[in-house]
Amino acid sequence: MSAPGTPVLQVTDLEVDIKLRRSVVHAVQGVTLKVGEGETVGIVGESGCGKSTLGLALAGLLPSNTAVRGSIRLADREVAGLRERELRRVRGTEVGIVFQDPMTSLNPTQRIGVQVGETLRVQSGASKAEARAAAADMLNLVGLPRPLEQLDRFPHELSGGMRQRVVIAAALVCHPRLLIADEPTTALDVTTQAQILELFGHLRETLGMATLLITHDMGVVAGHADRVFVMYAGREAETGDTAEIFDAPRHRYTAALLDSVLRLETPHKSELATIPGRPPDLTVSTAGCPFVPRCPAASGQCSTELPAISGEGDHHWRCFHPADQAEDNLSAAEAPR
Amino acid sequence: MENVTAVLSGEEPGGTGEAEASGGWLWLRAFAANRLAVAGLVVVVVLTLFSFLGPLLYHTDQIHTRIGMETLPPGPGHPLGTDDVGYDQLGRLMVGGQTTLEVAFGAAAVAVLVGVAWGAVAGYVGGLIDGLMMRIVDALLAIPALLLLLYLATVFRPDVLMLIIVVGLTAWLVPARLVRAEALTLRSREYVLAAKTMGVRTPTVIVRHIVANSIGTILVNATFQVADAILVVAALSFLGLGIAPPATNWGAMLSNGLNYTYSGYWWLTYPPGVAIVVTVVAFNLIGDGLRDAFGLDTRRQ
Amino acid sequence: MIRFLVRRCAQALLVLLLVTIIVFGLSRLLPGGPARAILGVHATPTNIAAFNRENGLNGPLPAQYWHWLSGVLTGNLGFSYVLNQPVSSLLAQRLPKTAFLAGISVVLAVLIAVPVGLYQAVRRGRADDYAVTTVTFVLYSTPAFWVALLLIDILSVRLHVFPAEAPQGSFSTIFSDPSAMVLPVLTITLVTIAAFSRYIRSSVLDELAQDYVRMARSKGTSQPGILLRHVLRNALSPVVTLLGLSLPFILSGTLITEYVFNYPGVGLLAFNAATSQDYPVLLGVVLVVGVATVAGSLLADIAYALLDPRVQLASDAGAGR
Repeated sequence: MSAPGTPVLQVTDLEVDIKLRRSVVHAVQGVTLKVGEGETVGIVGESGCGKSTLGLALAGLLPSNTAVRGSIRLADREVAGLRERELRRVRGTEVGIVFQDPMTSLNPTQRIGVQVGETLRVQSGASKAEARAAAADMLNLVGLPRPLEQLDRFPHELSGGMRQRVVIAAALVCHPRLLIADEPTTALDVTTQAQILELFGHLRETLGMATLLITHDMGVVAGHADRVFVMYAGREAETGDTAEIFDAPRHRYTAALLDSVLRLETPHKSELATIPGRPPDLTVSTAGCPFVPRCPAASGQCSTELPAISGEGDHHWRCFHPADQAEDNLSAAEAPR
Repeated sequence: MENVTAVLSGEEPGGTGEAEASGGWLWLRAFAANRLAVAGLVVVVVLTLFSFLGPLLYHTDQIHTRIGMETLPPGPGHPLGTDDVGYDQLGRLMVGGQTTLEVAFGAAAVAVLVGVAWGAVAGYVGGLIDGLMMRIVDALLAIPALLLLLYLATVFRPDVLMLIIVVGLTAWLVPARLVRAEALTLRSREYVLAAKTMGVRTPTVIVRHIVANSIGTILVNATFQVADAILVVAALSFLGLGIAPPATNWGAMLSNGLNYTYSGYWWLTYPPGVAIVVTVVAFNLIGDGLRDAFGLDTRRQ
Repeated sequence: MIRFLVRRCAQALLVLLLVTIIVFGLSRLLPGGPARAILGVHATPTNIAAFNRENGLNGPLPAQYWHWLSGVLTGNLGFSYVLNQPVSSLLAQRLPKTAFLAGISVVLAVLIAVPVGLYQAVRRGRADDYAVTTVTFVLYSTPAFWVALLLIDILSVRLHVFPAEAPQGSFSTIFSDPSAMVLPVLTITLVTIAAFSRYIRSSVLDELAQDYVRMARSKGTSQPGILLRHVLRNALSPVVTLLGLSLPFILSGTLITEYVFNYPGVGLLAFNAATSQDYPVLLGVVLVVGVATVAGSLLADIAYALLDPRVQLASDAGAGR
């Protein structure tokens, strides 16, 4: 057991390159982040910002055409660069992962009970009966009605929300310290989304695991994450407590993201705010801040130099010209173009 | 929007760099990027030119047999030697190629035309008519093609045209199934429903919407049809049911030459045999390349 | 599940009926009518009239069909004037031999092709994957008769390992000299593997790319465990269907093989019947093979339904066809 106070996950200067036939995608470029015991950290960014790659890297599930540099410490143990055999022991026992589409995450020809109990049988050599009992317990914990009946059903017999619960149960059956949830609610309807997010909260209370919530939806993060890590173009843009990020975003990208979220107070006939331009091509390395082409406050310095991390307390950002509170209120009052 | 999963599985990122060709010809560019497929295409073109233009440059007598000139090994005047009745083998390879390719393309054309029509109608109309039409296909599929051909070729001693029709008639079943599957998917698409509502007549809807949007599947299957036809005609010729001499095809040349295996006349078997294998491989490569270019699921039935 | 079975069997029956109609139609294609074709050029009008009367060839087509069909259902498949035997007894002698040859070859082919396909998918993109793909590609593009003759040339003539002719006579002859079966079985097996391995490989690749495989990996399941416990079962179900559909193709290959190796099965019977214009026999073979294939496809479909639980549910819910 590691000393109390040791973060469940400590990532330092992580870089992930994906080798393609004729180019290299720099999916993750120097990410440092920390997740404490029982904490829920939301990783937010647009599609293609590298957050999914980050999640896969942390779960040790990157394919062979990737190169990883930097450090990933899971429960005080270095996992970056581990060989497959050792990684296999880490998976499922120390870290569980839930993917976006519950329908395809489950083997259509295998019964639910078998799939939920699989980790136990594989990792600790549990018998079929033991695994089945643990699976039933887990299904109960994730809120599936009549868990004993569900054990023998097939995935296509369940609704989307129930399937996602099954996937969560399978990921947590060995009580890992960290749960990585990659877009866990994107494939579900809004009501089910809310239920699943509540489930994460409930599980955190019961099992005490830390959660890494990867999403593009600020709304998901708002109610359910303790801290937020905003990612852009493979890099950290801003980190901090959820409340602070929402109240006073500093990185221009975070500010733009929050602006584009529809709120009840948004004036009735105003245009929706969007972020102009497109995310950058990650096969091309740029000097300077990647957000420059889309940033309203970009200067010459921003194009040539990558901003260092600055900040106060737990709130950090990489920006030469961070938004400040006064400006924010002003832009909210003005009618957007 | 970048699909990271696609990126992680090794496909190129959609990114901001690539200029997008208009959707209609995207497959052509994808095909052109596939070296094996292009190589196959080149081989087919070369062999077609060889068979059809070759005789214009290299004159040989392919009608009259010449006693005393049989089974000469390759040498001056006969680059591939002569066959067992005195024909120049290289010239024979050209003439044989003409017939082989004519019958293969012709049979494939017949198979595709009949099959597409049948399948499109069945899939589009649906219901009991579809059921009946597809059961007929099932019934015909249940009889091995070679057996059916054995019977038909015995009853109707075939010439080139008959052979094309007969081979095509045993091969139309697979394209029918494929196009019917496409039609089932396509007929509930909005543009089809829109056309129906606007009162466009059924045959037009079928051709312009169903068939036109299945063109990828059809093209892929047509290529494989040609490859299969070559092998089928070879098998028929081997069984003695091909076309009568002095016409010939590669399959007939191969089976004829195989009678002399133990005499060591390798120039009688390997040139036509290799020609067959190379051509069939080429067409299969083209078919595979087209399938990848159109992004068609290999398991689609 | 029951509903699915019933529906499939009903479909199969309809197809069988259509097969009989097709065979009947084929018999009416004979120039000059079946009588002249069967009795030969020298048949006199009296003979022809008698033949027509005996075989119910007078009267409207549907009646003729019914007469013929009822004969078939009672086991009367016609008479071979060339071989002087009822067609049914000829088939009864030869059919088991072909079934034996084809059966062993297919089983062997599956036993080899599935592990090879798995291996290829796992080693995707590497040299050994390309090597195997190239070999099967070329094999697939080679006429089956050439494959057979090359095997004879190499293994029989030059290396004297196996005999070039298949065992004649009854099954006891086959079992007393199994080495004579090797080359014919090898030919069909090779041709079948060549046709299948592409599908098996891509089927396994498709499964490996599925999310549930990634999910299994995330639980710490090893690669062999994933292959055996998850991939194999899901990749096999389309292969089963493919087998059912490939039966006619395999039987065509069997025909050629029987001809080359002089194996006394139904294929060689058909060929001899073709060259001697023994139409009743030829048509009898067509009918029986057609029926066997329909039955085989039905079995394959049932096997597929047993393997894939989704099928049962879809049919029970009454969805589509």
